[in-house]
Amino acid sequence: MLLNSVIIVLREVLEAALIFSILLALSKQSKIHCTWIIWSLLIGMFGAVVYGINIPLVSEWFDGVGQEVVNALMQYTVYIMLLFYIIILLLYASKPAAGAPKLLVIMMVLITSIAMIREGAEILLYFFSVTRSVNHYAAVMMGMIIGASIGISIGFLFYYLLLNIREKWSMIIGLGLLILVSSGMISQATLLMIQADWLPAQMPLWNTSDFLSEKSVLGQLLYALVGYEATPTALQASMYLGGLILPVFIIALLKLKFKS
Amino acid sequence: MRKSPFIRVLLLIGILLPTIRIAAATPVIDVEIKNHLFIPSEIIIPENTKVKLVIHNRDETDEEFESYELNREKVIIGNRKGVIFVGPLPAGEYPFFGEFFPKTAQGKVIVK
Repeated sequence: MLLNSVIIVLREVLEAALIFSILLALSKQSKIHCTWIIWSLLIGMFGAVVYGINIPLVSEWFDGVGQEVVNALMQYTVYIMLLFYIIILLLYASKPAAGAPKLLVIMMVLITSIAMIREGAEILLYFFSVTRSVNHYAAVMMGMIIGASIGISIGFLFYYLLLNIREKWSMIIGLGLLILVSSGMISQATLLMIQADWLPAQMPLWNTSDFLSEKSVLGQLLYALVGYEATPTALQASMYLGGLILPVFIIALLKLKFKS
Repeated sequence: MRKSPFIRVLLLIGILLPTIRIAAATPVIDVEIKNHLFIPSEIIIPENTKVKLVIHNRDETDEEFESYELNREKVIIGNRKGVIFVGPLPAGEYPFFGEFFPKTAQGKVIVK
């Protein structure tokens, strides 16, 4: 029970922690005060409770695939907001405008709170299911705290890594990681749409489970970080690639514009 | 903002969706969750075919259907049912489990 709750909570917390740490590091560099994180946490936690309570209702939507559709829409939304965030950040870095920090803060609050809503609701459902049926209340609580702590620690680790490399590099690495995380989201969202039968199902393109299992620790970390998938379909892989190329393309365009 | 290629693709997919959903009838397989067990725990499906799993959770508690091999993950609320589309897949065994109660809730999809 203990180990299981560690793993469940860690998996949910990891992705949000990574996004938080990258955005925090980037905002520190852009000299944006980090008080926005309080808003994210408040909105995220409140949203997670509301969503968690309403999942039974949401599940019934669209002939029983409401959960997939709503989660996928959340992830597509986060992706689009991350794109806007990257554009505004780069524009701001080259020519500081008065309104930009405010916009960046709004984007970051929305991105992180939506991530928290999705992950938090699942943690809540788990907590109430498990504590209702077994008497291992203490073990489950302990496991959840350990899992959350590991996830948050990994987030801190990334944050300090990003802040302790040269500024120019940490901007590039931070943006790179952000793009990877968001392409992973596009791939996950596409998978959910396939699971819901809203996007066409296909045979898997390849199977790298023997090489690197999604169950392994490294597999899990890579799943949260770069959206690693051992058996993707062609649609999922191309959405991932598209999700990766689009921001790189936009960044290249902006860089060209700055130069001219 | 100009419409990005990505948005265009999404729009196109949106337009094409209705045509995709009117496909040939998908086989439906019912699965039950009872006392944190999957019944049946072995689900046999044909190769290269998409099937619709309807999972009825007869327990009070929620469960999460999870499978790394099938790439599927979904919360099934207590006393309700959930729909998961699986496949098409090559022949083989694809284990799944209930993430909330993994000690007992274990099963596999056998594709032949």
